[in-house]
Amino acid sequence: MADTNTQAVKDQDKPLLTVDNLTVRFAVKRGGMFSKKSYLYAVDDVSFAVKRGETLAIVGESGSGKTTAALAVARLVNAAAGKVDLAGQDFLTLEGEELRQARTKVQFIFQDPYSSLNPRLRAAAVVREPLDSLTTMSAEEKQETIDRLFAEVGLHKEQQHLFPHQFSGGQRQRIGIARALSTQPELIICDEPVSALDVAVQAQVLNLLRRLQENFGLTYLFISHDLGVVQHMCDSVAVMYMGKIVEYGDRLSLFNNPKHPYTIALLSAVPSVDKKRREQMQRIDIPGDPPDPVNLPRGCRFASRCPKVVDKCRESEPELTEINGTHRVACYFS
Amino acid sequence: MNTQKTPTPSTAQAQSPMGEAWRMFRRDHAAMAGLLVLMLVLIAGLAGPYVYSGDPFEMVWAPFTTPGTDGFVLGTDYLGRDLLVMLIHGARVSIAIGLSAAFLTVVIGITVGALAGFYRGWVEELLMRLTEFFQVLPTLLFSMVIVALFGASLPMITLAIGIVSWPPVARITRAEFMRIRELEYVTAARACGVSNVKIILQVILPNALPPIIVQAALMVGSAILFEAGLSFLGLTDPNVVSWGQIIGSNRQYILDSSYTVTIPGLAIFVTVLAISLVGDGLNDALNPKLRKR
Repeated sequence: MADTNTQAVKDQDKPLLTVDNLTVRFAVKRGGMFSKKSYLYAVDDVSFAVKRGETLAIVGESGSGKTTAALAVARLVNAAAGKVDLAGQDFLTLEGEELRQARTKVQFIFQDPYSSLNPRLRAAAVVREPLDSLTTMSAEEKQETIDRLFAEVGLHKEQQHLFPHQFSGGQRQRIGIARALSTQPELIICDEPVSALDVAVQAQVLNLLRRLQENFGLTYLFISHDLGVVQHMCDSVAVMYMGKIVEYGDRLSLFNNPKHPYTIALLSAVPSVDKKRREQMQRIDIPGDPPDPVNLPRGCRFASRCPKVVDKCRESEPELTEINGTHRVACYFS
Repeated sequence: MNTQKTPTPSTAQAQSPMGEAWRMFRRDHAAMAGLLVLMLVLIAGLAGPYVYSGDPFEMVWAPFTTPGTDGFVLGTDYLGRDLLVMLIHGARVSIAIGLSAAFLTVVIGITVGALAGFYRGWVEELLMRLTEFFQVLPTLLFSMVIVALFGASLPMITLAIGIVSWPPVARITRAEFMRIRELEYVTAARACGVSNVKIILQVILPNALPPIIVQAALMVGSAILFEAGLSFLGLTDPNVVSWGQIIGSNRQYILDSSYTVTIPGLAIFVTVLAISLVGDGLNDALNPKLRKR
């Protein structure tokens, strides 16, 4: 299913990252040793593109496959099918030394600052790890880079020799950001980088990420379930549900004019400080649980929880179709 | 450019996880006492022969000289050999076998456990079935068969003990590897292009070590007991003295001259107890959940 829109986007302004029909599945064994293998499609035929210097957010609830999609893009989980084009290079087919070289271009910022840093390494060694395995810098150059990165993320030089457990959550996330920056990547995948931090620190880290984006011309793939954060950070948004993108569009169009019932429900759940807006906003509940990911229903995956559901939705799955410009929705009611 | 400054704790010490564990260990009196006893045994074994020299196989006095008489602090055994000299030489053998057997156990156990826990799939399936095979073998019987078949030399006894006692280490290592490989810092290392071998040896293994160290320490004690058991049954190198062998050779005289059996027995008991205390101390010091108390 090649989507018609990717070509148009390419012509306009060539994206740094283009993901086409990415599929990730996990074998699931149920019952005994000899039972039939079935597959859980964590990411099912997902396509998106990110322009250089911009931020694409992937949002969705837990288990929607957003993190798996990000891991597959970075070759940290094997994709079953699809294509990942990074600056003209087919990232999924690289092997060995080529893959190692290409890894300098993609780095990852992790969700949990408490498990993403090796407790036995000092802060400087954590940042040095990618330099050691991906670059051929001399020891002095490495130290210079580390000094510069520590200053860049707002940490002191004296803190380099401390161990991770001696830092706070926000400081640990800064170390993680410095590590991601060390190889001068073009794309940084941020997997819920602030969801484990408290709100005051969240703002600091988000501002840091934005400043770094401006300074280094970074491209972000930003995974989040927090729409408030997404609104602050991104240029375009992809909403995922049960491994599929259900709505995709630039930030303004998606936030002002959400089409998919799931997106509408998500947006209605964002608390607002503005009293007028709060009164306007109608809270939409989506009762129930997502369907069993191993035995997916035939029709739309959201049908079991959708307030607008009709018979057609249970019969066949709606395709992701363009409604205006770059805004695409997978719903019969759009 | 607005760089957000974070306050630096000016007095913050770079306390490594291992340094902190040692601090905890030092506070544990029982473990420190165990360590002290172990040191004494080690010094006795290493320096003893130079301080109190003598041939452990030489008949020096009348048999069954009771301890304290005629200048023999621990008396003589049924062949008139000086028990103190035997005990000192036995300490060397017992400790050497304990350490080398534990080392062998840990090497086999870590290799099997690390490969199974890291690669999963058929590798794990194969290695774990192998582990279970060794786990259900009657340990003493199997090691007796090895020693009986291949000769009762010290390396063979070490091998026999190592081969039957690695499964617990393999299982612990596998469990730790399975837990740690899912942590984000391992994924981060992979994102940095660190090779699998380096991830196993330099990223996961150091973090998996604490429970393995504890197990290894206790393994030294059980290896000493195991060796004592084998030599009591006569399955030992007749040309070296070990504590178990002293007990074994004097066992007929246990009713008349019980000290010939009691003294080496006490040596084994005290040493193994000391090792257990050290092992427990290590467990408390290396276990982060207990550390908070």
